[in-house]
Amino acid sequence: MSALAAATRAELSKIRTWRRLWLVTGLVLGLQLLVGAQAMGLYAEAVAGITPDGRIEIFAGVREPAYPAMTEALVASSLQMSIFLPVLTAVLAGREVRGRQLGLCLLAVPRRGRLLTAKILAAAAYLLATALLIAAISSVFTHLAVRDWDPGLLVSAGALRGQAEFLAFAVLLGVTTYAIAVAVRRTLVAILAALALITVTMTQVLAGRPGLDALFPLSAGRNLLLNPAATELTAGPWHALLVLVGWALVTSLIAGVSLARRDAR
Amino acid sequence: MIEISRLRKRYRGRTAVDDVSFTARPGRVTGLLGPNGAGKSTILRILLGLDAATSGTASIAGRRYRDLEFPLRTVGAVLDGTGAAPDRRAVDHLRWIARSHRIPRARVQAVLELVGLADVARQRVGRYSLGMGRRLGIAAALLGEPEIVVLDEPVNGLDPAGIRWVRELLRGHAAAGGTVLISSHFMAEMAGTADDLVVVTGGRVVRQGPVADVTAGHPSLEAAFLALTGAGGAA
Repeated sequence: MSALAAATRAELSKIRTWRRLWLVTGLVLGLQLLVGAQAMGLYAEAVAGITPDGRIEIFAGVREPAYPAMTEALVASSLQMSIFLPVLTAVLAGREVRGRQLGLCLLAVPRRGRLLTAKILAAAAYLLATALLIAAISSVFTHLAVRDWDPGLLVSAGALRGQAEFLAFAVLLGVTTYAIAVAVRRTLVAILAALALITVTMTQVLAGRPGLDALFPLSAGRNLLLNPAATELTAGPWHALLVLVGWALVTSLIAGVSLARRDAR
Repeated sequence: MIEISRLRKRYRGRTAVDDVSFTARPGRVTGLLGPNGAGKSTILRILLGLDAATSGTASIAGRRYRDLEFPLRTVGAVLDGTGAAPDRRAVDHLRWIARSHRIPRARVQAVLELVGLADVARQRVGRYSLGMGRRLGIAAALLGEPEIVVLDEPVNGLDPAGIRWVRELLRGHAAAGGTVLISSHFMAEMAGTADDLVVVTGGRVVRQGPVADVTAGHPSLEAAFLALTGAGGAA
């Protein structure tokens, strides 16, 4: 256990000292700030127009109960930015598994299973920190929009659960992409694979087959995070969580087999 | 002690290493000598667990490299193509390696001073010259104060002062009882550094033993090497 802890700390140290990664992470967070600031005005306007019976009109012509709608808006504003996380993790993993770096990693931690576990734990910690910042930005802007109506919304059970589900989704989707990058040892292929998985959900090509659609990671993210009363979903939250955990486990297993069977070239 | 026994490696239908056996002993510098493409780096990569052998064994102190709990405390290695990331500072490069082995931070500073990079430790590695990069690689190899040192082409690209520095470092390590295994295709350097030689060509060992035995009957190591490897025709 101590060797794994040391290897994980070493991997975290590498992440911490990679300046370019933090620049790109800063760009994503900057984008989240920009989008959040723009959306805040819209939400504040919608909140000002909440009817006495507690209904809100966020989308033109659609009146819905205000509390679940604003809770979902909070989570959705984090979710939209999480699409960038697979790209960040693919870049992170891709750099680590190129010939030169992989050889150096294996000199330090020659047991493949231990090395992969340490890398995934460190990547998950980085993802969690980034996702927490994304969630914090969403929270600040949502609070500014709703503070005159319901200042306690952010710490309500529904909002906290939504944020926790977002963090789980962000980390599991990121770990999946990381493992794909380790398995194929190519950043671009991992990014393309992640984009392909996301595209399946975005284009709704499997709209007629909800059972199949629910097995894709971004669909699972929607099923986990969004409100079934307001959005058409393809499965329940527990199914979604299982799908995301399954993707992370299966891709990590494939990455482990690839790392163990191939020479570090 | 390093023991290579009946090692064989096939790549894409080609035999890169064929039935190679030798031993590198404590207190001596063992030189793995051969032309480019002879299989030297592959032997070292298998020894250090980066590549899998098709058959045979390679052990360090009686164990496979990957079975060592904190390997860099036993073996310090520099292999071609396992360098630091160019956009990382040298000190950060050494620190992550030290963390992976629970090596105290003070040791990082000590090896930086030992290799003469203490003043430029906060520069990014991409700004280093080839010689500085080699010194950084050796610093990483020495972090764990290993008994065994394995270096692949350690003097490639070094200036004469750098070559002498590496030679004295390796000779000093062996004199202190350590085991040193280096690969090179530089005759003069090998003649001045190694106690024992393993001459490899075409993936096979063609001669091994103390330098004097390998060069016996030849005017120089270079002449012996060319005769043994059949590379003379290309000259």
